[in-house]
Parts: sequence; C-alpha cells; structure tokens
Amino acid sequence: MLPPLRRGLLAWLLILAVFAALPAVAAPRPPVGTLDTVGSDTMAGLMLRWGESLGRRYPGLRVQLQASGSASAPPALTAGTTLVGPMSRPMSEAERSAFVTRFGYPPQEVVVARDALVLVVHRHNPLTSLSRRQIDAIFSESRRCGGERGIHRWQALGQERPSGRIALHGRNAVSGTHGLLRREALCAGSFRPEVNEHLGAAAVVAAVADDPQAIGYAGLNHRTPSVRVVPLRDPEGRLHTPDPRTVRRGDYPLTRELRLYINRPPGESLPPAERAFLDLVLSAEGQAVVEELGFVSLPASTLARQRRILELDDGGA
Amino acid sequence: MPEASSSPLLRRRLRHGRDRLATALITAGGIGVIAAVMAIGVFLAVEVLPLFWSAGADEPAVDIASLWGPQDYPGLAEPAYRWQPTLPEGDPGPRFNLAPLAWGTLEAAAWSLVIAVPLALGAAAHSALFMSRRLRGYLKPALELMEALPGVVVGFLAGLVLAPWLERHLGLGLTLLWLMPLGVVLGGALWSRLPGTARRRLPMGWAALWLVPWLILLWALAGWLAPLLEAWWFGGDLRGWVTATLGLDYASRNAIIIGMAMGFAVMPTIYALAEDALSGVPGRLAEGALALGATRWQALWRVVLPAAAPGVFSAVMIGAGRAVGETMIVLIASGNTALFNANPLDGLRSMAASIAIELPEAAPGGSHYRLLLLAALLLFLFTFLVNTLAEVVRARLRRRYRRLGDSA
Repeated sequence: MLPPLRRGLLAWLLILAVFAALPAVAAPRPPVGTLDTVGSDTMAGLMLRWGESLGRRYPGLRVQLQASGSASAPPALTAGTTLVGPMSRPMSEAERSAFVTRFGYPPQEVVVARDALVLVVHRHNPLTSLSRRQIDAIFSESRRCGGERGIHRWQALGQERPSGRIALHGRNAVSGTHGLLRREALCAGSFRPEVNEHLGAAAVVAAVADDPQAIGYAGLNHRTPSVRVVPLRDPEGRLHTPDPRTVRRGDYPLTRELRLYINRPPGESLPPAERAFLDLVLSAEGQAVVEELGFVSLPASTLARQRRILELDDGGA
Repeated sequence: MPEASSSPLLRRRLRHGRDRLATALITAGGIGVIAAVMAIGVFLAVEVLPLFWSAGADEPAVDIASLWGPQDYPGLAEPAYRWQPTLPEGDPGPRFNLAPLAWGTLEAAAWSLVIAVPLALGAAAHSALFMSRRLRGYLKPALELMEALPGVVVGFLAGLVLAPWLERHLGLGLTLLWLMPLGVVLGGALWSRLPGTARRRLPMGWAALWLVPWLILLWALAGWLAPLLEAWWFGGDLRGWVTATLGLDYASRNAIIIGMAMGFAVMPTIYALAEDALSGVPGRLAEGALALGATRWQALWRVVLPAAAPGVFSAVMIGAGRAVGETMIVLIASGNTALFNANPLDGLRSMAASIAIELPEAAPGGSHYRLLLLAALLLFLFTFLVNTLAEVVRARLRRRYRRLGDSA
C-alpha cells in the first residue's frame, strides 16, 4: 500500500497525463491547436480580433500573439519559433538575408491592411495644411528635404495663433511610426532632440489634445475628436486629407502597408492552421475587422491576387 | 526513537547542529548578496570595456571626447551634444554623446531634491519634536506608506494629470509658489498673537490638522489672485511672457514637473530616515536647552539638528540615490528629450529611462548596447557611492548617540 501522499501525487500525475493527451486523442481533424505569432504592437488589436473570428469559425483553433514590436518578428521567424510574423514596416535587407541563410528561401510577404500616418494639432489650431518640406523643417534638424531654415515657432508658418514655440510630440525610436515619418517626411534625416518621445501613439494624441501649441504624429486609427488632423499639401498645391479612399488609392502621401510574414517553403501548401487564418484575413469578414479598427481595408483586386498566390481558393478547407 | 530524543546529550547536540546550520546559512546568504552585487559591477565593466579598444569595423569609434564633448555631426551647422543612437544605417550615422543623458539624470535628481528636501526635513523636524504623540502615531505610518506607491502610478499622474494642469494654470502655480510659504509663516505669526484660551484650543502638537483649513483658504486666495496678477504683471499670458521676456521656452513635460513627481516619490524616504535621526537624539539634550531658556527654535536649530546632522545628511543622500536611479517616473512623465541645456522649463531624458527604452532594441555586442551598459555602470557606481557614504555617516551618528548617552 502506498502512503496517502504518494497516492495523491500519482492521481494528480494521471489527471495531468490525461489532459496532456486529450487534444491529441480527441482531435478529429485540422485545423485545431494554437497559432503562435510574434510581432508588431500596432497590429495587436487586429490580430486579436482576427483570432476571435477564427475561433468562431473553427472552435479549438486559437491565435496567440506576442506583440512586442515589429522588430521582434524577423528573429522569431528565423529562429523558427513562429510561422507568422505581423509587421507594420517592410523587413529590412539584413533581416531578410538572415532568414534566407537559415532556410534557403525568402519569407512570404502578405499585405493585410493599409494604415496612414497623420499629423495632428490641437483642435483650436487654425493650421490649414503642411507640405513635406514644412514637416521636415518642423521636426528635423537636418532639413534634408530642402527647407531653408528650421520652423520652430507657429509664426514661421504664417499664422497669428497660437503664439510661441511649436511643441513637438512623437513616438520613441523603437516604433515603426517613428521610422516611417523619418523615411517619408524627413528624407531619412534626424529628428530634433526637442521632440517628446512617448511610449505609445495614444499618449502622443493625449499630449497634443492638452496643449494648444503642440503638433504630433500618430497612426490613423489613433485620432480622436480632441485633435485635428492636418491635410498634407503636395508640390502641385493639392491638399490630401487622410480618409479610407485616399489612403487605399495611395494619394495620401504618408501611408504604409501592414504585413504578415510567413515561413512557407516554395511549392508547398500552407499548414491547415495558417491556411485557415490567412483565408479569414483576406476575406470580406477579415477586412471588415480592418475597417472597424480604424485601418483601411485592401481593394478587392489585391485580395484576389494574394489569395491566388497563397492558393487559398483551390483544394481548400 | 522517543527514548533517544529525550536524552539530554543528544538534544544538546541537535541544538548545536541546528545553530551551526543556521549560522552557515546566514553567512552564505550574506556572502551571496555581496558576491551578487560585485558580480553585477564586474559584468557591466567587462561588457563595457571592449567599447574603448575594439569597436567593430562598421561601428563608429567611441572615446572619452566623443562621449562627453561637443561633436561635429554631418548635417549640423555647429558642434553639438546629441544622443540619437538609432538613426538608419549609414547616413547620417548614430550619434553617441552621453552628456545630455547624464545631465538629464542629474537635473531630474537635483530638482526632485530641491522640492523634497525642505518639505521632508520640515515635516521630520515638526513630527519629531513638536507634534503630539497621538497624531504622530497616525501620520508617520501614513507618510511612510507613500513610499509604497509604485513609480508607474506617480509617473502616470504627473504626466497625464499634473503636466497638463500646470500648463493650463501656470499663473496659479506661480502664485502658489510664493503665497503658500508666506501664508504659512503668516499663520504662525497670527497663532502666536492669539489669546491664551484660543491657543489652548489650537495646540502646537495638532498644527498639522488645524492648518488644513488655513491652507485651503490660501489656495482659494491664490485662485482668486492668480488671474489678476497674471493680467497685471504679465499681460494675461504668463507663458507668452516667459518666452518673450526671459527667452525661455515652456515644454509641458519639463524638469520642474519631473522634480515635483520624483520629489513626491523620494520625500517619504528622506522623511522617514531624518525623522528617525531627529527623534533618536536623546530627549534630555533638548530639554536641557529649553530649561536654560532657549526657545523651541533655538533648541531645534542649535542643539537637536547638529546632533542629528549625520543622520539627516545620510537621509538626503539616500534620497538622492533613489532619485538618480528612478526610472518609471522619468520615463512616463518626461518627454524623453535628450537636451543639454539649463532651462528648467524644458524637457530632459535620463540614463535610466534611456536604458529602459533602448536596451530591448539594441543588438547585443554592438556599440549602442555597450554604451547603454556604460550608462548602467555609471548609475550603479553613483548609487553605490552615495549609499556607502550615507551608511558610513550613519554609523558615525550611532556612535555619537552612544557617546551622548554615556556622558549624560
């Protein structure tokens, strides 16, 4: 006879073993299990909602996201800990070549939504528009876009109100938003050290909402009624307001694509879980989630082309 | 079994064995802690050193001059101090200058001490010497409980509540700054003129309670006075006046805000240690001074404070160490702008906040990574020195108390 303690332990072990074996035994057919993803925090909300929809379609299939930033996706893909990496910026050459060295083929890139970067000012600020050169002169100290001199006061933009210095707000250098503005609007120059670096885009918008002298940048989905979005002026003098139409067509200058990077050997079809996930993301239902969260959905032609490349429609689940 | 354990010899042996085991465990624990602290220092030093002699081929050279002196950077008209470590590869190249970060760290700590030290020491002196014993029994634990408030919460409140509020009510803030101390002194003067019966109703020991309505009254007065004064002296726009006349720019996340938030965080530490030092002064010293005709102020200033000076000093030192190492408050409440100027109304970026933001992204082994560890090493050395100094001085205080106790 075993002592009581030992017997209890054995019982627990047995229960654990049953639970561990249960999914393997009870699984009728794919797709079930957990889809692990690592990457962008901008896309965390999207991934979460897509995961919920997927769970409704296929009970038993869960999506798990570790959202520590776009930069965390390529190392995880290369190390093989994940097969799907959401990123709010394209992979850099170095990140791509690390993947190719490990697997011998490039990662598959899937565009899943569009996003735009907006410049916001306090709701009472009368500013009508900004050109790229002006944005560069306001935010950078290098002025590689060709501004004559830096714009540090609102008067330098030709307006009476507000008086005084332009207070600058943005994200810290880790963020993809920070990188996008630097690449697209500062001609890859350097930010002025006076730019306040916040930990999140919502904090940027909140800081601008509190200060009549402030200007800041954030993702399209972070705008609130307490700030005003500034239209951008192109060299021909046309104004571009960010809305779903201009962003989808690419008329609005500061747009970006949100992507999923997938580890898919060439010629092989996707594993069932990944396949189910992408099928959802590139469907009308998945794109409705995109719109709901304040991003911009993809045109039907782009969706169809990507579905074809991923072989989602033939021999499907 | 029962027979053996009841034998006195065996019991004694067992007790000795347990004693020896406990001693060994405690010794091992102590050595372990010391070894861990030294290991941290050694690890940081080993990781940092390659920075100075073996920079990688594509890494920019780093030396003392480029870390601390103004540099010529491509794209800038004149030499400047810049901490911009994550510019895109190649052009225009990362800028590693630690001076703005070190400056930001010290500036934040200095302003927090400017705000915390007078308040904490004043509170400590009052509660150690003048406050009624019962009230002190409530207030002291409450103040010490403030220390348990997480830095994240303090930083959040400072950044999202205090900073916008002060920006909107700059005039009120300035008015409070001079009206409050003046009003409190005025309150003291009024109190000493009160007739004896009224003074007995408002005893000195309970001043902390009956001063509260007086402070609310002062606040209301400041609220009424501030717009008038702002219109009268500054043309109704204090922020504009500061910019136009003093040439200072007002950033909403500025060094003063950080000072207030971090001052609030280090105040309980300084208060608790200083209070212990002051109330540890043997009571007969102050009583003797009072009996010889000294006023309460003279007894405090000439007798008790000098006797407790080392303890008060070490309280301030430990507060300074905490302010230098504090991360979350600066990270959240400041704009993290790596500026190198003395304007207290401008933002700052501290070394601790930089480490928190940038270390997860820095490639291990790269210059950026090693520079962040250098910043960590500097923080470690600074807090280590400050805390050691504080402990040495405190040990002297304990000896002094013993001597005072003996000679009495």
